[in-house]
Amino acid sequence: MSALPLSTLLPVIATISLNHYIAVAGMLFVIGFIGVLLRQNTLVIYMSLELMLNAATLAAVAFSRYNGTMDGNVFVFFIITVAAAEVAVGLAIIVALFRKRHTVQVEELGTLKN
Amino acid sequence: MDYQSLANANTWSAIAPEIALGLLALGLLVLEIVLPRAHHRLIPRAALVGQLALLAGLLFTISRDAGFHGASFGGLLVHSGIGDAFRVFFLLTSTLVTWMGIGALERQTLPRVEFFHIVLVVTGAMMLLVQSHHFVMLFVALETVTVGFYILVSYFRSSTSLEAGLKYLILGALSSAMLTFGIVLLYGVAGNKALPGASANALGFDALHTFLTLNAGNTVAIIGMILVLCGVAFKVGAVPFQIWIPDVYQGASTPITAFLAVGSKAAGFGVLLNLVTQVFPVGDSVLRHGLVFVAGATILFGNLAALTQRNTKRLMGLSGVSHAGYLLLGVTAATYPAAKWASGAVVFYLFVYMAASMAVFGVLSHLAKTDDAGLETDEFVDLGKRSPLLGGVLAVGLGSLAGIPPLAGFIGKVLLFIAAFQAGLYGLLGVAIAGVILSIYYYFGWIKMALFEFTRVVPREPGALELEIRAMPLGGRVTLAVLGLATLVLGFFQGPVSQWLNFG
Repeated sequence: MSALPLSTLLPVIATISLNHYIAVAGMLFVIGFIGVLLRQNTLVIYMSLELMLNAATLAAVAFSRYNGTMDGNVFVFFIITVAAAEVAVGLAIIVALFRKRHTVQVEELGTLKN
Repeated sequence: MDYQSLANANTWSAIAPEIALGLLALGLLVLEIVLPRAHHRLIPRAALVGQLALLAGLLFTISRDAGFHGASFGGLLVHSGIGDAFRVFFLLTSTLVTWMGIGALERQTLPRVEFFHIVLVVTGAMMLLVQSHHFVMLFVALETVTVGFYILVSYFRSSTSLEAGLKYLILGALSSAMLTFGIVLLYGVAGNKALPGASANALGFDALHTFLTLNAGNTVAIIGMILVLCGVAFKVGAVPFQIWIPDVYQGASTPITAFLAVGSKAAGFGVLLNLVTQVFPVGDSVLRHGLVFVAGATILFGNLAALTQRNTKRLMGLSGVSHAGYLLLGVTAATYPAAKWASGAVVFYLFVYMAASMAVFGVLSHLAKTDDAGLETDEFVDLGKRSPLLGGVLAVGLGSLAGIPPLAGFIGKVLLFIAAFQAGLYGLLGVAIAGVILSIYYYFGWIKMALFEFTRVVPREPGALELEIRAMPLGGRVTLAVLGLATLVLGFFQGPVSQWLNFG
């Protein structure tokens, strides 16, 4: 299948309204939230967290375009930067924990409890 | 606004304390490279001296009323009296954490300097956080604090410390994601030109406040506000975001537990006070009912869960949840015009809470074993007899946390309760008083274990459960004594402090 030329795609993109973007962002956010609550593998939980941040990013870009202000686009840069820092620290903690315990399953990480 | 006028708004001198902290933090890393290995023990002491000098400078500036007040950096930050109070608060906290950290790290074989570096960076970020007046500034400062704490919680790299770090990481990132999404929703709806009061600067607090007041019933705005408040509620450990507290407090090393319990919580309350009194029109909306409900649930949960707790770090964590509840009571009262002075009462309570908690954590940190997993309350038997200073300071700290007159904690609670009474929050006031009565049970169980011999039911064979008490250097003894004395004196005499904290 050959790629669609941009000239035929643009009218289609133009029909996507703000509500569509926000609906997708909301769904991504909820899927991520449920993933954090229900999944057992720490890495999958971490991916779900990133999904939630990406939902916020998508909504910010869509709002920024719709409102005609650049603040949302600028905020996205900050979100991405912070998410990168979080991942760097988070993966380091997960790796260090895996070396000690040989597991990243949440149900096996229960030393600290009443 | 053109770039020239924006650049003119960069009042660098307004954030001199934060810059000085950052430079001090960097200086520590430089010292590690420059100094020969034999002198590396001096670096933490340099951090301590630097912070004390900065504290003296800050207090001098405040006493001369010479600090910069007003907006700086194009409205990203707003400096005020309450911001200055929080600056002093965070600097005192970090100084005490550094002091505890020196003692705790001497028992470990770990890199030292980074610990103090991150403590300083986090402190600077907390100062900026409570003075932020724009959501991008708030987000970046909050994330600097949070990411710094991920590292600090797992710093000791033991199995429990890393597990605590992972739990804090996952729940912290979850709350950050909620906060971020809330901010984006508020930005989107407040910038929508179809709505009244829409602004091009929708992330700034002033414009947002105008918009939210004009669109009180907007669903998206309400969802956004709730998500932002959820993100902050995680920081202060309010129900239902308190689940991380006992585990993380137990797994982290004691200095970091103290930093979390005092610094991170106070930063959360600084932001919360800003948000509910200046940005979100709480009015008679769903937000106010939510605040009242969460405050009551937090007080009850913290006290009930602490009743059966034997591990001292978990006990401090869960009782800290109840203190977050009392503070939430004050924050809720501050949203009523009748009790505007409640902001000052909240800050006063934070200072009192810091003095008492740091006294208790100082004793805990000194007595901690090598694994630092938290002592059981039973292990404090005879502490008062074997070390009168440690036992006495522990009793004063716990008594103040319980709110026993004439200690400072009593006055702090009375001020919060008067504010709640003036605001007409009678139901919540009843819950809070019931909570205080419950808290006496577990605090006094611990005190009598440490001080009174006759309470022991079964005679103990010598040597059983004997706690090793190390000799304490003079500086440590003086610090503990000052914390205990401050708690005593603030109970009798609040004069200049209450005057300073009267923000109207």
